Order: sequence, then C-alpha cells, then structure tokens
Amino acid sequence: MKEISEIAEYALKLAESAGGEYAEAYFENSEATFYSVEQGRLNGSGHVESSGLRVRILKKGSMLTLSTNNLSRRNLERLIRFRPFRGTSISLSDENKASVRSVLKPRKEADPQKLLDGVLHIERGLAEKKYIKYRSIYAGVGKASSLMVNSEGSRVELESPSITSFMNFIVSKGGESRQRMMQFGGVGGFEVFDDSKILEHVEEEARNIYNVIDKGISISKIESSSIKSVVISPEITGIAVHESVGHANEADRVFGREAAQAGLSYIGKKELGSNVGSSEVTIVDDPGIENAYGFFFYDDEGVRGRKKIIVKKGLQSELLTNREYAARIGKKSTGSARSDDYSNEPLIRMSNTYLEKGSSSLDELVSEARNGVYIKSYTEWNIDDTRSFSRYQGNEAYLIKNGRMMEPVKNYALEKKTLDFWRALKMKGNDLEMFPGICGKGEPMQGMPVSMGGPSALLVFG
Amino acid sequence: MDAEKIVSIAMKEGFDEAVVNISEASEKYLKIANSKIDSVVDKRGISGSLFITKKNRVFFTNIEKVDEAHVKSKIKLAKSMVERLPPKEDYYGIAYGPFKYGKSSGYDKEIKEREELVSEFAESSIEGAISQKGTERSKVYGTVYTEYIKSELVSSGNVHAREDRTVLRMSMRQINGGTSFQDFALSRDAKGIDPYEFGKRVGEMTKSVSGVGRIKSGNYDIVYAQSPGGALLSNINTMATIGSIETGSPLKGRMGKAVAAAGVSIYDDRTRRDSVEHSEYDDEGHPTQKTGIIVNGKLRSYLHNTSTAIKYMAESTGNAGLVEPSAGQMVLTHKKRRKDLEELIREVKRGILITNTWYTRFSDYLAGNFSTVPRDLAVYIEDGERKFQIRQGDAESMVGIRISENILRMLQNMELAADDTKQSTSWDSEGASYFMPSVLVRDSQVSTA
Repeated sequence: MKEISEIAEYALKLAESAGGEYAEAYFENSEATFYSVEQGRLNGSGHVESSGLRVRILKKGSMLTLSTNNLSRRNLERLIRFRPFRGTSISLSDENKASVRSVLKPRKEADPQKLLDGVLHIERGLAEKKYIKYRSIYAGVGKASSLMVNSEGSRVELESPSITSFMNFIVSKGGESRQRMMQFGGVGGFEVFDDSKILEHVEEEARNIYNVIDKGISISKIESSSIKSVVISPEITGIAVHESVGHANEADRVFGREAAQAGLSYIGKKELGSNVGSSEVTIVDDPGIENAYGFFFYDDEGVRGRKKIIVKKGLQSELLTNREYAARIGKKSTGSARSDDYSNEPLIRMSNTYLEKGSSSLDELVSEARNGVYIKSYTEWNIDDTRSFSRYQGNEAYLIKNGRMMEPVKNYALEKKTLDFWRALKMKGNDLEMFPGICGKGEPMQGMPVSMGGPSALLVFG
Repeated sequence: MDAEKIVSIAMKEGFDEAVVNISEASEKYLKIANSKIDSVVDKRGISGSLFITKKNRVFFTNIEKVDEAHVKSKIKLAKSMVERLPPKEDYYGIAYGPFKYGKSSGYDKEIKEREELVSEFAESSIEGAISQKGTERSKVYGTVYTEYIKSELVSSGNVHAREDRTVLRMSMRQINGGTSFQDFALSRDAKGIDPYEFGKRVGEMTKSVSGVGRIKSGNYDIVYAQSPGGALLSNINTMATIGSIETGSPLKGRMGKAVAAAGVSIYDDRTRRDSVEHSEYDDEGHPTQKTGIIVNGKLRSYLHNTSTAIKYMAESTGNAGLVEPSAGQMVLTHKKRRKDLEELIREVKRGILITNTWYTRFSDYLAGNFSTVPRDLAVYIEDGERKFQIRQGDAESMVGIRISENILRMLQNMELAADDTKQSTSWDSEGASYFMPSVLVRDSQVSTA
C-alpha cells in the first residue's frame, strides 16, 4: 500500500501543478474469480483484475478526468496535465475534510473453491427438476480496495469483499415456457452466499412458476383494465422504488446532464417538495445497510455516504447529489458519487433504496384488497425516459377474490403512470426485503451494484 | 513482453493451448449537457487476455501489464486454478492457423493524435443544432467519443494477427418546444462525420412535426427509423449464437424454416471496412466472415467458434468468444424496398413513426416476446401522412406509449424497407452497432399511458 500511496500522492501533486480550483487522485484495485455453469457444464471460469488511477482536475469551472493503468512516473507525467476546453462552469460543494481507513472484514472468508463447490451444488439440485428446461448459473467472488486523496487534504482508504451470483432458468410445460432471473449476494464474505438457501429459494420459485403454467388462467384485456386493487410483493415494490423514484431523484438527471443517455425526470426544479405519492410513501436511500449489495462507507469524492429520505410521507424531499450538484442547489453532497471502475467518471448513483415498511401482514393486505391481483415476481419491466410511465409484467401472480388468494394468473401487467402508482398506495406490509441488482447509467455504460426493496403493499386505483 | 513471448511462457508451463490478446487503447469522450461541454474524459491503458486450456479444463484471465513479473504471476495463477477445475466435456479446441487475413482498414491519424478533436466536434455539432431560427438554445445533450486501439493476438495454434483501428461515435439529443429527437453518427475516421450537419439535422427533426396529440391503445403499423429498428433486431444475432441455442432461443429448432418475411435477410458481418466493429479476425484469430443467419426469410445458420463448430460438425463462422461464441455486427437487408422514409410513411393507413426506443425487455426469451418503450420523437401517421407527435403525458419530451411484440412476428410482418441503410446504434444497445434501413412492420400492439 505504501507504493500505491506514493503513486496517488505523486499524481495529486502533478494534478495540483495545473493550478486549478480542485484536484483529486483515486487509485483502485479490484479482483474477482468467476464461474459460469450452463446446463450442467462448467462453461467458463476465470480471474480478472483491474488496477489503475483516475485523476480529476477542476480548472476555471471545467472538469477534466484522466485515467490510466500504467502507473510509471514517466507515464503519469505525460498524462496528467490540464487541456483547456470551453465547458459548463462547475463548482464543488464545501465538504468536511476526511481522513479515513476502513477495511471491511468478511465474517466468513470468501474462498473461490468453496464458491465453485456451492455453484455445483446448486446446479445438481436444479438438474433434478425436470420442469426446469434450461438453467445457467454465474457466480463471482472478489474484493476491491481504493485510495482517494485530494487537494483539500482528504484521504480515504477503503477495502471490501463481495460475492454475487445470478440464476437464470426457464420452466416449461407443453409448448409454454416462463423465464426467471434471480440475483443473490452482497458486500461481505460467505455470510452473503449460502448455496443451500439459494437452492431452496430457486427451487421454490421454479415450482411456483411451473404452477402458473400448469394451473394459471389468462384474463382478458377488459378484465385486466378493470382491476382496481393490486397487492405487490417486496420484489415489485423494490423495482418500482428504484426505477420510478430513485432514478427520478438523481440530481444530474433533474438538471439534464443524463438527457442523452439515462434520460430525464418527471421531477424538475418546480417539482422539488411536491406531492408524488400517498402519505404512506416514505422512500429512503441508505448505503449503510450491512451486507447489502449497494453498501459503502465513503463515495468516490471522499464524502461519507449517508441515509437520504427521498420521499417523506408522499412529498419529494431530497435529491441524490455529488459535490457538483450539491453546490448547484446550495447544499452538502449526499455522498452519492460512484464509478464502476477507476477508469470511468463518478456519476450520481443510488445505493440501497427502499420503501419504509408498515405493520400489516400479507394476509391483511389481501383481505383489504377484496378483489384484485397479487403480483409476487416480474418478468419484463420498463419505464419511459422521464420515469413517468412504467410496466411490471407479472411472472408469479394470483387473482384475489373476496379477500382470499386464488388461482394463478398468467398475463397480468401492472402498467401505470408513476404518480398514479405511488398515490394509490394505501397499506404497507411488515415484510421488508432487499434485492441486489446492477444498475446501468452513463455513456460508456457503467453498471453499479445496488439493492432495492421494500415491503408488500396494497395499491388501490381510482 | 509481446503476446508471442507470453504464449511461449504459457506453453512451457505445460498448458495444452494458449491464446493471448494484448491491446493498447486510448479513449477520449466528452459529455454535452444543456448545450455546453460538461466534462472531458481521457482514458489510456493496456488491456489483455490470456486463455489457456489443459486436459479440457479452460481458464481465462486478464493481463493489465506486460512486464515479466506480472505475466508470470498470471500464468502461475492460471496453473493453480486450472488444475482444480472439472473438465469442460464439450470443449474441442482453438482455431489452428496459419490464416490469411484481409488488409487491415487501418486507423485515422487525426482521431489518434488530435486531442482537441472531441471538443471541436462537440462545439460544431452544438452550433449546427441551434442554427435554425426560433430554436431553444440551451437544450442540446450528447456525447462525442473517440478510440484508438492497437492490438496483437497470438495463439499456440500458429495464429498471429495484428490491427490498429480508430472509431468516432457521436450521440446527440435536442429538446425544442417540448419535442425531443436523438440520433447517432459513427465512423472509422474523422472525415466520415460532419458534426455541424449532424447537429443541424437533429435540430431540424425537432421541428419536423407540428402539433401534439394522444392515441388510444391498440394495433398500429410501425415505421422504425434505423436506430430503434436495429437495436431491436440485433438481438437476432445474439439469439443465433450456439450458446443461446443451447440455453434457450426462439431460433432453436427452426433451421431451414421461414422465420421472416420472404425478402428479409440478416447477416452477422464484421468484414465491412466502413464498420466501427470491423475486424479481420475473431477472439481466437479465426478470420471473420459475412454469415447469413436469415437469408430471404429462412433461417440459414447459427454462429460458432472453432470448438462449438467441431461439436456440431459445422464450420466456424469466425464468432469466437473463447468461452463461447459471440455475435458480431448485424446487417439487415430487404428485397422489397421503397426509395426513402417518406415512401414508407405513404404506405401506412394508421401507424406510428418511431425514432428511438429503450428499456427493451423480453418477458419470454424462448418465445421472443418483448416490450420496448419509444422515447423522443414518435409521430402518429394516418392515410400516409404525419398527423402529430404523440405525447400521452405532461412531462416535457414524454411519449408515453409501449410496443409489445414478438421478435419473429416482427420479422414476418416486416413488409418493406427504405433505401436508407446506415450504420447506427442506440443507448439501449449498449455499444453494439448495426447496418439498418428504416423498416415498416405491420400490426404491432401498442399500449398507452
């Protein structure tokens, strides 16, 4: 680490010599071992490592980002200099000087061989289920460490392990099939990967989806459009929170920076503080949830990641910001600047985003719904680029009749305007769950680990 | 240390095969937001890969430095890992050369060496976009991206391949009076794109339709511009890789059968010299080729690397992927054509012109069912004429419609194409590009906000 520290400090010195308002050097090393198993065959396995340096220089309001994995002094001297361009006038929020070293130790050490054994255990279990027509498993174990130093005297050193896995399967009967992708894992060691529990969970999902094919009914478009009460599971709550609220409250999107890529937002400057949901809706983004996939201590700009209340009792409350956008709205950064790799610029990203839970059981939500639909999982989902109009196509879903869960329904899609969706939320469950995911943003596209979740909830549309 | 030396060290360590690819890359990109350059990024680095096999055990690792100590540590790691792996029973080996490659299309010195190029292209394209009278001046967004790559691939199969190439990509979105339009430009050299004209056309398109209206959910004919049509149909190339066929693809079991309208052909082709994805060789050094996946409506070929080709008693299509075959660039042609987009529109009684889509998601990959969300300019067409742009909500630039389709049905209902094929891409296609004309697809399902 001493050598890395010297390289980062030297790079910072070169960046400072450009004479700008701000300079920063960020070194990152990450490595992962991965396995891919398809239809019982170990299709691929490998080890990837990434190690390099990013330097940002802010001069006369223009931000230049430089990156390289050639850390020789000669190369750094050649690369690190300011090239002027006529740009937006950027300033940064004032932040506390940070001096931090944090090493997240796994409770159970992550061992690649143990991961492979776990993957093969899951594979053997799924192979026995004849109704699973296709199956593939990907799993990776890795760790990342970083060092950020800046011209304001901050120094942040971080290290954390992580494990992630994806289970894809297709269940079929006769000529009909349904697919499912499930992701497991988080920040930590083997405490976030239990192959027996994953196998149990995946088997249950596959069984239930087979039951949808076997016993499910199809409803007409007229019947579908007449459904007023919808009970959504934590999985549906989570994806809706992430897509229609979290993204919409990223300040770079609100101010147009992402317009040509990840899009705009129904939240504009005029909508700050406005009503976006019922009084039951309080939505939070919190990087401090232990073992969650979007866990982190400090962001890439050396700002402590903190809990943000994005929506409070139905009112838009707080935007996610980095230092640039915090300065624009006269606040301190929420610590949301993250990059997927040292070579890319940090963007405003969510961490672990969820709807706060209520006190009802699932049975109580179903009973209150009287007649409608319960959606437990989704296949396809999408949303328009202003985050105003989304659809979640039910995978495992059931009709609700007279307050009781009934037969599976094959073809219900919850397709609503965002504000109608959140204003329809009447009751919340006490069963908060979080789900890991990879969130895409920017150009070149950056995939960032996040999690999303919430409790089951009852939506009643007018 | 060069790739040949690394292969030599690996083979001395007792591996059966080794493939090494080393690249030196320089990327520059900038972001345009609110009609100004928002930030500039300059990335430089070495990247490489080492693929090794031993007794049918296969292992992949990356190489970031080419000094001897780093390379030897990677080979040592590969050796320790590969011995612990179970064999890949259906692995049949890498490509064996020597191969004769076509002449490299080379690189553009201007893209490689002129640091100011990205800023100049950005400024010129912004000027073009706001050049017309009455245009909102502060709502231009986009990216300018350049890349220079010098790479060398060597394998124990007597393969030696080298190439230098450059790429220039531009994306621009403009919002004008609540109407937005987005387009893309791609080239191997700086002369291939006139940034001012590119920006000007984007600006003109935001003014091309007067009037705003709503439509009802139902079935409509869809005219897809090149960017969204290609983004949707380039999925066919991925679905044709043998890995997809093995794990679930709508093309499985349809070899030789009609899967598209009679005049439609889809190729996988990285041999076009004007393509930003042009390469003379694939990831194992096998020569690339133009492969007809669908020819005149019938499914003709799946995509293979050497190992899968042996497994299925086929020929490699030059689509390695070392671990598994990967799709190259999609090229779509149609025998039934009209002169231009205007003539396609004239064929429509009740339909929609779509200029951009995103969030394409498959609800049933095996069947090919998907939905996609149009964004930017979407125009309602009636009796062969543009009537109004569709806006189903209050938010600026919101279209508020969704198309639900089946990818094979879409191909079967592709009645016509325009003579306006261009190389395009989309944010939704995550970097993949394609050669695509505007196309007319009959009778698609549309739902509205």
